[in-house]
Amino acid sequence: MELRVIDKTDEELRIEVAGEDHTFMNVLKGALLETESVVAATYDMNPEQSGGQTDPVLTIKTDGTDPLDALGDAAGLVQTQMGTLRDAYESAAGA
Amino acid sequence: MSDEFEVEFIEREERSARFVVRGLTPAIANGIRRAMITDVPTLSIDTVRFVENSSVMFDEMIGLRLGLVPLTTPLDDFEVGDDVTLALDVEGPATAYSGDIETSDELVQPADENIPIIELKEGQRLEFEADAVLETGKSHAKHQGGVAVGYRHLQKVEVVGDAGEFDEEEPNILRGVVETEEGELVATDEFGNDLTNRYPGKEVEVTDVPGAFVFHVETDGSFTADELLLRAIDSIDARAAELEDAVAV
Repeated sequence: MELRVIDKTDEELRIEVAGEDHTFMNVLKGALLETESVVAATYDMNPEQSGGQTDPVLTIKTDGTDPLDALGDAAGLVQTQMGTLRDAYESAAGA
Repeated sequence: MSDEFEVEFIEREERSARFVVRGLTPAIANGIRRAMITDVPTLSIDTVRFVENSSVMFDEMIGLRLGLVPLTTPLDDFEVGDDVTLALDVEGPATAYSGDIETSDELVQPADENIPIIELKEGQRLEFEADAVLETGKSHAKHQGGVAVGYRHLQKVEVVGDAGEFDEEEPNILRGVVETEEGELVATDEFGNDLTNRYPGKEVEVTDVPGAFVFHVETDGSFTADELLLRAIDSIDARAAELEDAVAV
């Protein structure tokens, strides 16, 4: 996973996440929207229309917190969710 | 959203499972479904060195058929890109089956023994050595561990009254899993997928249960359905961890 920052201000971030597709980006976007400091978040796969751009571009807007921190928080949230889901499945499977 | 998930099994077998997960967002449900299909790697024959092929099929056609034979994949012992050598030697008249494939690694076997590769007549012979490689479903569909993976909304059935006495009896077909008023989970094929069989003469109302998804997972035999799901969760988890690290620098 390679990250390339396209645009960054104090409350906005446009970043390219190389090598990812809807599988992870949509989960991440979902987690971003659940993160308190995030005002808006979306991603764009936009493959052919943008002149060969195939890696997804993630756009985040925050309430003033560093958007990179917000992204880190959301990545942490995804891990927590996956952890609880794994535990829930394992306990149901073990029972 | 709360981070409380609840999993309940309806069917659970070695290669297939049907279970309800509550508390999911559509994004997570779809992420896991997609990860099960494309991101959990399996071993599959990728290169074949023919010693003799006097069968009626070209080498390439046999190669394609071999690629589609599911192989048991111990994911703890292999990494993506690793390979295992397999071999086969069958002389006609006989049918070469997947079970005739010899393996150099006890852990890697054809998941099913009765897949015909080709029927050989008198004097025909098939002998080759092959390399199976561990790859993800993204690179080729033969590497997909999950062959029938999907989800539906869980639906709740409520009896709202009696059907009109002179109403025409029409079937009320529903597929998937329903939750009854008592909170019991029932697969619809138990009552022939027709609600009028379960609630004769009643008027029922069917609604989606928010955040509850009924997953149906079936593997090709490379590993168990449990393993497929847990590996899919791990793959999303690992990517989130990688992203968090990359952002923290």
